[in-house]
Amino acid sequence: MTALTLTAAPNRLFSDAPALMRLSVLKALALLPLWAAMALDIRQLDGVSIWLKPVKFHIALVIYLLTLAFFARFVPQTLFRRRTYRAYQAAVLTAIVAELIWIGGAAAAGTTSHFNDTTPAMAILYGLMGLAATLLTSLSLVLGVAILRNPATGLAPALHRAIGWGLTLTLPLTLITAGTMSASSGHFVGTPADPANAIWLLGWSREVGDLRVSHFLATHTLHAVPVAGWLAVRFAPALAGGLVWGAGLAWVALVLGTFAQALLGLPLIR
Amino acid sequence: MPPDTLFQLATMAALAGWLLLAVARALPGTWPDRAILLAARAVPAILSVGYTAITLAHWSSSPGGFGSLTDVMALFTAPWLTLAGWVHYLAFDLIVGGWAVAQGRSRGIPWPVMLPVLALTFLFGPAGFIAALALTAVYPERTPA
Repeated sequence: MTALTLTAAPNRLFSDAPALMRLSVLKALALLPLWAAMALDIRQLDGVSIWLKPVKFHIALVIYLLTLAFFARFVPQTLFRRRTYRAYQAAVLTAIVAELIWIGGAAAAGTTSHFNDTTPAMAILYGLMGLAATLLTSLSLVLGVAILRNPATGLAPALHRAIGWGLTLTLPLTLITAGTMSASSGHFVGTPADPANAIWLLGWSREVGDLRVSHFLATHTLHAVPVAGWLAVRFAPALAGGLVWGAGLAWVALVLGTFAQALLGLPLIR
Repeated sequence: MPPDTLFQLATMAALAGWLLLAVARALPGTWPDRAILLAARAVPAILSVGYTAITLAHWSSSPGGFGSLTDVMALFTAPWLTLAGWVHYLAFDLIVGGWAVAQGRSRGIPWPVMLPVLALTFLFGPAGFIAALALTAVYPERTPA
């Protein structure tokens, strides 16, 4: 039963959440021209290719959609058939597309997307995209609550709670961290001497506070807590209930700790 | 007729074709099929006749060729050959647009999803083509019930 419910075969994902899977495949395919543009385009921003940000956001949203499609099996199908849910999900998918077009479009135009208030239009767009980002992240909360309230997931209680709470906590933690970041003038707290002096791949500053660290961890709550739950149930079933609570609290502490660290102007590691 | 006038005529014909493709889905009965036929076969055919005529009349007296980027750029300095190149774009983009609309119909791709892809094909042909091709990958052909 457990082995069966944890299969990630594409067919299973497509039958559980066709709309989420379609968009995730489309956005994964969009990486091909983006990578090619990155190879052709010599323009840089903060010491890296101007196309790196669209590439990262595409990868992030593909992973987000795949994750939600995977967890969709624990959501009652009756929710997915509801007209109000379908309209809401269409709005979420539209927000994802809008966000990616905005970020890619800004790169193509050779300008910045986030924190861009150089023209009134770009400033308004940045505000609207904040709303779009909130809307698209809210889907994890909606599915998380639906999973918590579903008595028939067939999951061990500890894993059930870990998945439900991991998804549910993603929105509030992301709102705190990303919301604070968007209310600031940029993702750095302090002025790095060299913006390119950063942690490999993730790009976080090694010199000053970087609010993207806690945003990243907050957004990955929907992976970290369920994985902790799965490990607990798999390797210490007798203690799983307590371990899940402990892991959940530890993760929240990690998010808030790195958030505080960045606000103090300190890098994650030097 | 000067090449400028023909340019205007060709562009208007293509625009009419694109408008027809954009509303094809909303038409009743068998009209969507006819609209696609008109927009993505008849209009490109007329444009292609024009292209062929221009090429026959002006190719031999124009500079450049297909051999290198420099040759192609030289080709596009001649108004008639540049017009031919433009008409070529217009005609083939419409054919791709018609193919996309037909795929959308047979695969049940929602119109709000299809419309931006059509706009992309209209403006940046090849980008629209790969977008439509990607859509065919995630919307499987509907099997007759």
